[in-house]
Amino acid sequence: MNVFMQTLVAGLLIGGIYCLIGIGMSLIMGVMGIINLAHGQLMMVAMYITFVLSSYFHIDPYFSLIVSMPALFLLGCILQKYFLNPLMEVDSILPENQVLMTVGIGIVLTEIARFIFSSDYKSVKTSYGGSAFFIGNISFNLPMCIAFLFAIFITVALFLFLSKTDMGRSIRATAQDKEAATLMGINSNRITIITFGLGAALVAAAGSLLMPIYYLFPDVGGPFTLKAFVICILGGLGNITGAILGGLTLGIAESFGGTYIGMGYKDMVAFVIFVLVLVLIPGGLTGLKRLIKS
Amino acid sequence: MKSLRAIMVVLLSVTLCFAFGLSSSSASDSVKVGISLPITGSLAKFGEIERDAFKMAQKEINAAGGINGKTLQLIIEDNTGRPDVGRSVVEKLITKDKVVMLGGGYSSSVTYAVAGVCQQEQIPFLVNTGSADRITASGWKWIYRINPSVSHYADAVKSLLSSVVKPKTAAILYENSLFGTKGAKSFGKICKSLGIKVVLKEGYEHGGIDYKPVLVKIKKLNPDIVYMVSYIMDASLLMKQSRELKLTPKMFIGGGAGFTLPEFKSNAGVASDKVISATLWHQVLPFPGAMDFYKKFKAKYNKPVDYHGAEAYSACYVIADVLKRAKSFKNTDILKALSETDMMTVFGPVKFTTWGKLKNQNIASSYVVQWIDGNLELVWPPKHATKKFVYPVNWLKTWGY
Repeated sequence: MNVFMQTLVAGLLIGGIYCLIGIGMSLIMGVMGIINLAHGQLMMVAMYITFVLSSYFHIDPYFSLIVSMPALFLLGCILQKYFLNPLMEVDSILPENQVLMTVGIGIVLTEIARFIFSSDYKSVKTSYGGSAFFIGNISFNLPMCIAFLFAIFITVALFLFLSKTDMGRSIRATAQDKEAATLMGINSNRITIITFGLGAALVAAAGSLLMPIYYLFPDVGGPFTLKAFVICILGGLGNITGAILGGLTLGIAESFGGTYIGMGYKDMVAFVIFVLVLVLIPGGLTGLKRLIKS
Repeated sequence: MKSLRAIMVVLLSVTLCFAFGLSSSSASDSVKVGISLPITGSLAKFGEIERDAFKMAQKEINAAGGINGKTLQLIIEDNTGRPDVGRSVVEKLITKDKVVMLGGGYSSSVTYAVAGVCQQEQIPFLVNTGSADRITASGWKWIYRINPSVSHYADAVKSLLSSVVKPKTAAILYENSLFGTKGAKSFGKICKSLGIKVVLKEGYEHGGIDYKPVLVKIKKLNPDIVYMVSYIMDASLLMKQSRELKLTPKMFIGGGAGFTLPEFKSNAGVASDKVISATLWHQVLPFPGAMDFYKKFKAKYNKPVDYHGAEAYSACYVIADVLKRAKSFKNTDILKALSETDMMTVFGPVKFTTWGKLKNQNIASSYVVQWIDGNLELVWPPKHATKKFVYPVNWLKTWGY
């Protein structure tokens, strides 16, 4: 029973961070209809910001959110405005060239990080990094719990933003039907820029929250891009509630796979679910909901 | 998609050609040796150490007159830590750069793939780190190796276990790569020969965030020792999370790789203390130049160096020695010189013989190191020890609980 509960707790906590990563990607996918394959690399940039702030200026990783999120928001906006949007106007061999562009951006970001910081593995030192509290026999890692709470807070804030503000409504409208939104007088170009910025800021939050738990090197992003992609497919493309469910599902599935099937098959569990979802319920978890309704 | 990939490949190769065209003025008075290392990708850390060591040795060799008057030119190619990329860069080194022999080879999986190409193309390949047994146990004529194979990594640990720790049960955790799987398997054999019961043996995918599920399982089984074959950051996380869960076996043992790097200590912090690990080299060993090399490396790159650097540094000297002795730079002449190698390096004596199932293999010893108060001390065998092996360990006190 202890092992079961510990596994569940571990899965839920990591699922919280996966949510943040997934929501960012889902948001971008919803509005622009493209998969951002530089997502994990953007997270890596945020992690380096947190690392620099923490080791050179002794700023707590959680406070560094105040810097890393706006910084990545800006970076996201710039990327969208000067690198991705111009591609939309160009007739090219492939309609997916924006996706290819994100791959390129990802590689460039990784190599810039390697150029500045070399391939050394870095981590931040905090007084609470290794501390845990016990409820019964179950250990709760303190930074993971804090990260989980932050993740909930940021998600709620995002929901309020999307449902209560003008800008949020415009984003949702663009996601639902870009042309109709443009006809209604929404500057969809501007919306895409802000959306990409938002997505980047969300993944930046995930990165900063991960720093006290995890470690950092230039290639850290790749696996997380993949995870974000799996989460989006699980939740249904472009669906934010779906991304939350997808993130939690992935965290828990990985954790249980690790305990009961074997640590080596942890990633396999995630991908088996991924393939099953694609084959059986192509719309993801939200598609399933629709299926049940009808 | 396919045509696009082709375009990208062409573009990439053009850029690479330019890059190398500029750096290698292909003068006839230089000898070209290809080195395949992971300079990017998740194994880049190790590739960087070895690249730095190679370059240091190259500079010294050329300053001392090079290869009979010719300069030694190393063409270091990035294999990104992936076997398929490794194959293609080595094919490029052989066919385009026309290197006379190959060196390097970090990561067993990549090295095995690269060795296959070298055997096929009949180019001598001196391996310095890739340690899976099958690299030199496949009967390949063109493959030589300086470092012992992974099944011998734990030889010194074995003698330490049988004479001091005397455990009854063990748990084995390993990364499910070629190196990790083979390392775990050979430690399983050691356990069997010492009558230690293996209560858990589990692989994991490297790069995980949370190892608690498996550590909780180990805690429940309460083994006497925990043996781990891990690359660096997994090693730090495993130790940090063990501390968090208050998992306290009699001893934590690392199977080389991640556990001997300075980053292990800096990332795991207090959780790294008193952990022991198998290793292949330590600067205090009585080999001529060992301490010098350590100091020079530290002064030049501002970081300590472990066995990975020593292997690469020695490999470069062996390559230079072989090329000096070879009658010509024809592959068969180099192979002949390679087989006659008998020299002293900072890594110890190098001489290629048959070692059990391994062919063209240098016989090297392994050692045990322990992290004591932030320093990596050699603790076994006792005749070389810099500090006494700390045992038994009160983990909770060590971890500051």
